[in-house]
Amino acid sequence: MILARYADGRAAIARDAQVELGPDALTIQVGEQNHVWTYADLRRADDGAGRIMLKRKPDTGERLMLEQSSDLESTAPDLFKPRAFGIEGRAVVGSLIASAWGIAAAFLVGIPLAAAPIAEVIPERQRNQIADISWSQVNAFTDYCDDSDEAARILNDVAYRMMENSNVARRDDIWITIVDAPFPNAFALPDYSIIVTDDLIEMAESPDEVTGVIAHEIAHIEHNHVMKNIIRNVGAGVFFDIVFGGAGAGQAIAIASVNLTGLRYSRDDETDADVRGFEYMDAAGIDTGGVARLFTRFTEMAEEQGGGDIPTLLSSHPASAERAATARARSRPGLAPSINEADWRVVRAACSDEPIPVPAPIEIPAQGQTPREGANPNAAPAPTSPTPPLEGGAGKPESPGPMPKPAHPKAVAPRIGGLPSLGRAS
Amino acid sequence: MTLEAAPTQAFAHSGKLGNVLGLAFKNAGLTLATLTLYRFWARTAMRRRLWSRVWVMGDPLEYTGSAWELFRGFLISLPCFFLPAIFIFYIAPLMMDPVTATWLAIGFYIIANPLIAAARYLMRRYQLSRTRWRGIRFGLAGSSARYAFASFGWTILQTLSLGWYTPAARMNRAKLMWDNARFGDQPFQFIDDGESPQQGMWWPFAMGWFGSILSLFVAYFIVFMIAFAAGLGEYISQGAESSEQAAMIFVGIGVASFVLGLLLMTLAWAPYNAAAMNRIASLIELDGARFKLKAKTFSLFGVTLAGWLITIFSLTLLAPVAGFLQVRYVINRLEVTGAPKFAEIGQSIVPEGTSGEGLGDAFDLDMGVGVV
Repeated sequence: MILARYADGRAAIARDAQVELGPDALTIQVGEQNHVWTYADLRRADDGAGRIMLKRKPDTGERLMLEQSSDLESTAPDLFKPRAFGIEGRAVVGSLIASAWGIAAAFLVGIPLAAAPIAEVIPERQRNQIADISWSQVNAFTDYCDDSDEAARILNDVAYRMMENSNVARRDDIWITIVDAPFPNAFALPDYSIIVTDDLIEMAESPDEVTGVIAHEIAHIEHNHVMKNIIRNVGAGVFFDIVFGGAGAGQAIAIASVNLTGLRYSRDDETDADVRGFEYMDAAGIDTGGVARLFTRFTEMAEEQGGGDIPTLLSSHPASAERAATARARSRPGLAPSINEADWRVVRAACSDEPIPVPAPIEIPAQGQTPREGANPNAAPAPTSPTPPLEGGAGKPESPGPMPKPAHPKAVAPRIGGLPSLGRAS
Repeated sequence: MTLEAAPTQAFAHSGKLGNVLGLAFKNAGLTLATLTLYRFWARTAMRRRLWSRVWVMGDPLEYTGSAWELFRGFLISLPCFFLPAIFIFYIAPLMMDPVTATWLAIGFYIIANPLIAAARYLMRRYQLSRTRWRGIRFGLAGSSARYAFASFGWTILQTLSLGWYTPAARMNRAKLMWDNARFGDQPFQFIDDGESPQQGMWWPFAMGWFGSILSLFVAYFIVFMIAFAAGLGEYISQGAESSEQAAMIFVGIGVASFVLGLLLMTLAWAPYNAAAMNRIASLIELDGARFKLKAKTFSLFGVTLAGWLITIFSLTLLAPVAGFLQVRYVINRLEVTGAPKFAEIGQSIVPEGTSGEGLGDAFDLDMGVGVV
């Protein structure tokens, strides 16, 4: 017989009781009344670290409170197993772990996989809406160069030549803008704009280097990497916010993805853009050796700076050295430079507030050499003189072709500060 | 055989820190392993542990909630709360014009205020309905919407009065909550004792209000004095080695001042919090029995500070331990005068409800333990 207390679940009092343990059930004696509880129907109402409290299942509100009892444990061992306390078993914990990682995989792997088809169906209006956010960043952190119209037209000419030779579907929507920024970089925006900074042009030792970078950015646009990247980041943001209870980290990731600092591509996208960019250059009869030299210089910069603050365009995965080797392997020395000497001087002078310098030899492969066998016979020659400028400011053309200088609706505003981390963009 | 002697006082908490810490560590590990999905099971296990150590007149409380109920509540809150939130905070800023997107976000924050109040009410309702003593269920009747809108109105008054309506708002909320609370079929009452509900709270509130402003100045002053004593003035006069180094020093001073300021603010508000808790307890009545809480400024400050430190340094994973400290603090300082006629208190008639605290979970209201 075990002393106990019994509450009948109908009034908030507990009465003294005596409990007798049988083989399959216990009997509670309260005054003149006996209650028989089958062990199989019992559950623990305590948490296993104090006094034993038993209840019935389904819960009638009745409670039996008794001291720890070795007799009860030997008679009804199931009442001392986790299940009796309502503690989840290993199967539940295992299922939770599997489910959690399954959901994580669905978000973090599934969303990137679904990013491409989703990116294709995003309407132009929404794409431009997203681009506005990127443009607000460009406006905030870069300066408009009022002397870059001609240079921008030259870069757009060479870009269009590459796109035409490679039949790039979006070639009529792509437009290059040169901005004054304290870092060498180039990046593509969701509205098919390409931003090239004056520091990148200044850093380039030959026109093919800048052309190679532009080709790379065009490839990002052609293959919709910009929107895919944003969708991937938004998916990751949603996942993190749901997992961590809306602390805001996920939202920050998603919002950052449309800011310039967040314009990072996956390794596959970068490699894809490299390869496709080289194809444009090949098709247009432009040597990839310039890009190889640019990548090499960035590799050296990275080594000098210990891999520190260098443009991600060139420092990001795949490694610059690797990219330089790929470009060098495709190089066809002897091709005419993508931009002629006079135009290159104009491009170099963009944003410098200085007059266009006197012609001087530049370090480019000798002109007039016959392209090697296999080069695209349809490749257009480099323009020998700049297309006469039209009236108005620099901007994206409204009609097909390398139309220079229609007014750009998103002309950059005066710069109010630097953004070193813009180097992340590529 | 004789029964283990129950604590002799009317209210007692027999929980040991080590015992709670062990469970908290296990919960934290599994929560991480399941990318937080285990939190519903963790919360349930911790509540069972904390409730079972609360002794009321010789018998322990019992938590009867299940993790699946909480999980079901979370699943319900997904489409009701998370999907609109995801749209407003992820999709709208990217896909809608900035003005509309901004208004949507502002609207969400405005709606969030009564929504949080409703979530608190529903959470309290769930927790009370899953709490039993001697097999008799607690409960919370009343409308969560009514509480939400009333609370929203009081929040507006608090804002307009620069915080000075806070003591009245706190007592109003407590009254609405406790007037609807039930033990079995017996309602609690938030009585009118003939005095102002905020009696004894104004001076401590004024101390907190002015003290918190003063705290920031005092904190900056103390940190600057320490910095100058450590040679900052000399360093500045000699010219910092680099602007980055100087910036780092000032950021460090700023952070130290902020942390010290928060500490002082917590101390400044401790008398008010203690006074409010004591006053609320003194106005609660159950079938003629009255309650008395003996919260003191410095002990409450100590418990609050310990809770904050545990929560921050464990990256919130051990937040339930902070909850345990609070529960233990209150229970061990609670007294009762008079005794309800327990034999006449029958089983609760307030419906139990079937799902948990989805909204409360969405707003992360209870630091994982259920102490609202």
